[in-house]
Amino acid sequence: MSSEKLPRQGRRPSSVAEAAERLAAIVEAAERAASSVIDDAEEEARRRLDEADARADRLVAARLRTLADELDPPAGDGEPPRLRRIDRNDAAPHDAGPRGLAPRRSGSAGARLLATQMAVSGSSREEIEQRLRSGFDIEDTNEILDAILGPED
Amino acid sequence: MSTAPTGHPSLAELQEIERRYLMRTYRRAPVEFVRGEGALLWDAEGREYLDFLAGISVCSVGHCHPAVVEAVREQAGRLMHVSNLFYTEPMLRLAERLSRSSLGGRAFFSNSGAEANECAIKVARKHAHRRGVEAPEIVSFERDFHGRTYGALAATPKLAANEALGPMLPGFRSVPFDDAAALREAVGPNTAAVLIEPIQGEAGVYPVGEEALLAAREACDAVGALLIFDEIQTGVGRTGSLWAYEQTPVRPDVLTTAKALGGGLPIGACVTSPQAGDVLERGDHGSTFAGGPVASAAALAVLDLVDDAALLRGVREKGAALREALLGLEGVREVRGRGLMLGVGLDASIDATAIGVDLLERGLIVNVPEPGTLRLLPPLTVDSDQIERAVALIGESLVSFQPA
Repeated sequence: MSSEKLPRQGRRPSSVAEAAERLAAIVEAAERAASSVIDDAEEEARRRLDEADARADRLVAARLRTLADELDPPAGDGEPPRLRRIDRNDAAPHDAGPRGLAPRRSGSAGARLLATQMAVSGSSREEIEQRLRSGFDIEDTNEILDAILGPED
Repeated sequence: MSTAPTGHPSLAELQEIERRYLMRTYRRAPVEFVRGEGALLWDAEGREYLDFLAGISVCSVGHCHPAVVEAVREQAGRLMHVSNLFYTEPMLRLAERLSRSSLGGRAFFSNSGAEANECAIKVARKHAHRRGVEAPEIVSFERDFHGRTYGALAATPKLAANEALGPMLPGFRSVPFDDAAALREAVGPNTAAVLIEPIQGEAGVYPVGEEALLAAREACDAVGALLIFDEIQTGVGRTGSLWAYEQTPVRPDVLTTAKALGGGLPIGACVTSPQAGDVLERGDHGSTFAGGPVASAAALAVLDLVDDAALLRGVREKGAALREALLGLEGVREVRGRGLMLGVGLDASIDATAIGVDLLERGLIVNVPEPGTLRLLPPLTVDSDQIERAVALIGESLVSFQPA
């Protein structure tokens, strides 16, 4: 609401000109008040849109974190510390890499976790795909990417 | 034109004070900085520098970011310190924010990265004792840097070798960097934790490979040990995600953060998974200043800026552009790292220290963490013109040092 003072009521106009002037002032004040209401409404709408955007982002992040937890489940109260093992059967046929280390895990929980964490952190489908290809030698990344990000349009 | 106040001492006068009154633990470059803004610094003579070190990855949102300055100013004018015997909102908000943005457990605040690692070491040892381990051991990689307090120092093999500071804390061992097989072999029933930097920073920017990360995770899981990521340099957006682990195939049980967290104010944190969050109990650890309202308010302002998809995407894109441009320079052998944490490996014939000194004279601040490597840690807010300028300066310097 505008803080402009309106002309005081009950005073008799001394002339037509003065009455017109007062009327103009009233109209101008009303227009300013209306403008302020519109500004407030627009601001409120913008705020609500921002909140909705933020809520949507949080929901997506929560969903992705849930997916991450499903891949890497937390232990319940009183249980021993996390003992998740990456399933050796998940490993690629063989890609020992340098120094004859453990095989890379094509399609493994590691690759899925990498993809999920990158998605949570805001990486694009292309960026995740590139890391899956370079880090895990995965030819067809669509299965993992679709599961996490949904199918491409 | 000088930007220092009238009556400001000369550099020579400051050096004389240093000579008489400061312990000689640092070799400082002969420059006194008096002002900073974004990726720029000015010395007392008014000369402008492009800062591609950002106070060793501390000023990641740039020098004196207005939002951080305002948060600090506002909080400092209201309440600066009451100790951890009472509640203050900024610290609690920050704990919630750090937990929700990472491992989902609890946070302990510290005043530095080394202290954050001390907390992580305590968590690991107590967690191991609960498993019945009498002599818990912490495994790290050679050339890791975890800090200079005695616990962190013991996990920093290169510095721990300094016998003049002995005896070192027992219960630490190291294995060759990125050696998955050695890591698997080193982890056993007595292992309390594997403590590693996902990208070694002080060593010269060397990312740990996915094989070794997976081996660390698997080995820890097999014996019930904790996997601790020291994200003091890699965290808070430096690599293009809020935490570096988000771009790896593993999730640690504990992460430590500091440096960029406070935007220039000293604050660190040890953040756990839910399972590791209840290990430390009342009386196990503490700190008078840690999590103070001013540093916490600064950290919240930093996270408001950095935990932003567009900014993080920008870090990845700018990092990729910087890497590409550097690889095109004469004398650059390789570029390591991720996001805006890059190690530039130079040809063996080039003296990196001389390049670092020359670049400072040309107005570009970089760091030389090891012979043959320039380390670049520009503010995450650096713009593409500044990146181009830095690349041009490095190129000119390298050309001037090429053997005839």
